[in-house]
This record gives sequence, C-alpha cells and structure tokens, in this order.
Amino acid sequence: MIAVLGLVVGVVAGLLVRPEVPAVVEPYLPIAVVAALDAVFGGLRAMLDGIFDDKVFVVSFLSNVVVAALIVFLGDKLGVGAQLSTGVVVVLGIRIFSNAAAIRRHVFRA
Amino acid sequence: MSNQDGRPGNGRSETSRGERLGLGPLRRELPEEVPPLAAAGAAEDAGGDRSAQETAEPELTGRQRLLQGLWPPRFTRAQLVVALLLFGLGFGLAVQVASHSDGDSALRGARQEDLVRILDELDDRTQRLEEEKQGLEKQRQELENSSDRAEEARRQTAEREKQLGILAGTVAAQGPGITMTIEDTKGTVQADMLLDAIQELRAAGAEAIQVNGVRVVASTYLADSGRSVEVDGNKIQAPYRFQVIGKPQDLEPALNIPGGVVQTLEKEQATVTVERSDKIVVDALRAAKRPDYARSSSQ
Repeated sequence: MIAVLGLVVGVVAGLLVRPEVPAVVEPYLPIAVVAALDAVFGGLRAMLDGIFDDKVFVVSFLSNVVVAALIVFLGDKLGVGAQLSTGVVVVLGIRIFSNAAAIRRHVFRA
Repeated sequence: MSNQDGRPGNGRSETSRGERLGLGPLRRELPEEVPPLAAAGAAEDAGGDRSAQETAEPELTGRQRLLQGLWPPRFTRAQLVVALLLFGLGFGLAVQVASHSDGDSALRGARQEDLVRILDELDDRTQRLEEEKQGLEKQRQELENSSDRAEEARRQTAEREKQLGILAGTVAAQGPGITMTIEDTKGTVQADMLLDAIQELRAAGAEAIQVNGVRVVASTYLADSGRSVEVDGNKIQAPYRFQVIGKPQDLEPALNIPGGVVQTLEKEQATVTVERSDKIVVDALRAAKRPDYARSSSQ
C-alpha cells in the first residue's frame, strides 16, 4: 500500500513540479524509466509468487536503471545509441510482458 | 509466452511455493527477477513481514498475497524502501511524459539522419516560399503601380472631359468675360451680323458663349427667321444678350475695333453695350451628340 502510494505521489509530484530535465540526463531518462518499470513488474511478480525480498528488489531496481543508462551511454559513444536504445527497450519490453503474463495468471487465474 | 499461456493445469489454485519453484522449466524461461537462491532464502528469512505471513498461512494464493500487501498498510522498512523507489519511478515517468508531451515531441525522438533530412526539407521549403513571396511582392508592386497609373489616367480623363465639356457645351462654365447686349429696335440686325460677332469673339479667344440662353458651340448655326433670329433652331428676340467667357481685355477691344462688330451694328441703328465682368456664368447646356459617321482615328 505504501509502495503504491509512493508511486502515485511520485507521478503527482512529477506532474506538479515539472522540472526541466537536465540535458545530461535527458537521453537516459526514458530508458531508465523503462528499466525501472521492468524491475517493478518483476518485483510485483515475485510478491505474488511469495518470494519478494526488498533487498533484491532494491538492488535489481537500481542495477536495472544503471545498466540501462550505461548501455545508452555506451551506445551514444559508439555511435549506435539509437539502435542500442531500441534493443534495450525491446528486451525490457519482452521481460515486462512475460512478468505481466505471470502476474495475470496469479491475479485472474487465467 | 504463448506456450506458457496455453499451458493447461498449472495447479494454480493450490499453488504452494515449493511447487512453483519446482516448476523448473517455466521459471527458467521467464526472466528471474529474484534469484532462486534469494527466493529460497526468503523462506527462512524472518525479516520480511511476508515470510511471517507465509509461515502462518502457507497455502496463500498470489491474489490473497496481493490483497494482504495492499491492505492494511504496514510501515515496514521494505514497504518504505519500495515506496521510495517507486516514487522515483513515478517522478521520472511523469517528468519524461511531461517533457515529451509539450511541443516538438516528433523531433525529439527522431534520429540524426532524419533530423538532417527534415532540416534540408525545411530549408528547401523556406527557399521556395521565399521565392514565391518575392514573386508575389513583385506582382503586388506592379499591380499597385498599374492601379496608380489607372487612377492618374482616370483623373486626367475626368479633367479632360470637363475641359472638352466646356467646349462642347455639355457642362456649365464660369469665369471672367464680357456681356454684350445688342438692342435692335428697328429690327435690322440679321443673323450674319450676329455670326460675325460670334466669329469675332471666337477669334479674340472666347471660350464659352451663350446667346439669350442658347449655348454657342462648334456646330451652332444662325438663320434669319422673319424679324427674329434662329440659333440652332431656337428663336431668339432682340435684345440679343451675349455672355462670353474669355479674357475681357482681349474681347472688348476685338469688338470695338474700327470697322468691327460694334461699328457695323451701330451703322444698322442698333445699340451695342459691352460690359466687362469678373464673373460670367454660362449655364446653358447642350446635349452631347454622338456623331453618326465621324469616328476617332486615334486609338
């Protein structure tokens, strides 16, 4: 419950404050958000499976974000930033979908 | 994924953790968010509230676990940490959405080559539009000039029409001139004498003439008609009153020269008076007659 509240408060705060995204962070933010979403879905699934652990969640969340940003950074340096970003988004998307499927099976039993 | 979806009889209803972990292949296919080691450790890890619950209710389904996690709210370290992380996620999400939804979102996600192409296209388009603008401006200038010229021409034409109207007798005229009155008590004055007077006035620079309310123009004729005189078919009686616009200093001497109009008329027992005036009004009009045969040869 507190976690859901945290998410809601975050969205509201982001919409209300509307901070200017620094140019340094700007290319990494979308990928980082997708990576974090992946971690959240994974965490939700683990919770439904009854194997949720906050330490694991925190580590996976942060490492996902960092690795995603790192990949984009590396891609930009190598000149394949756009392609690599697409790749990361595809991989994370697949993971999110499979996690969502597991969650769905838990919640709707279908 | 479809094979997982279609897999029948997952035994979800009486799922216990040991069973699910034993599902083996399915779990391996899915991305492991939580390593099995940690998951296995979580069972005897008494730190989390969930593990305490699970020991109490080992047959708990995922749905029940979700509901329990949602309500009642528990202020545990795990919840707070997750809340903090989710706050960050929500914040980032909202910021990203907000920064993307305003303005040139189409360009923001575009690749460099696309941007270069778009820029090129824009440049081309700008150039084309600039050329078009120049052409249109030129056209506008030409039209303005021509309309100016047309206006000028119309003005000149109107002026000319007035001037010609004075000569043709279609408009009234006023200006300095003289009034000549011929008293003819004996009835000796004839048309040719009046014609002489008119000729003399014309020769002296008369610009508009009327005789007893009849405008004298180029086509005016005079004819004797008994004791009176006919001017353009209008009978006029003595006294004959000429109203003439022109330079008085020229007109009066022209009439008074020895052997001129005045002397000739006085020889016929008529009395002639000539008065200068600063303002003579010639307001007798004639209808403009369209010539039947003569056509302008100037184009």
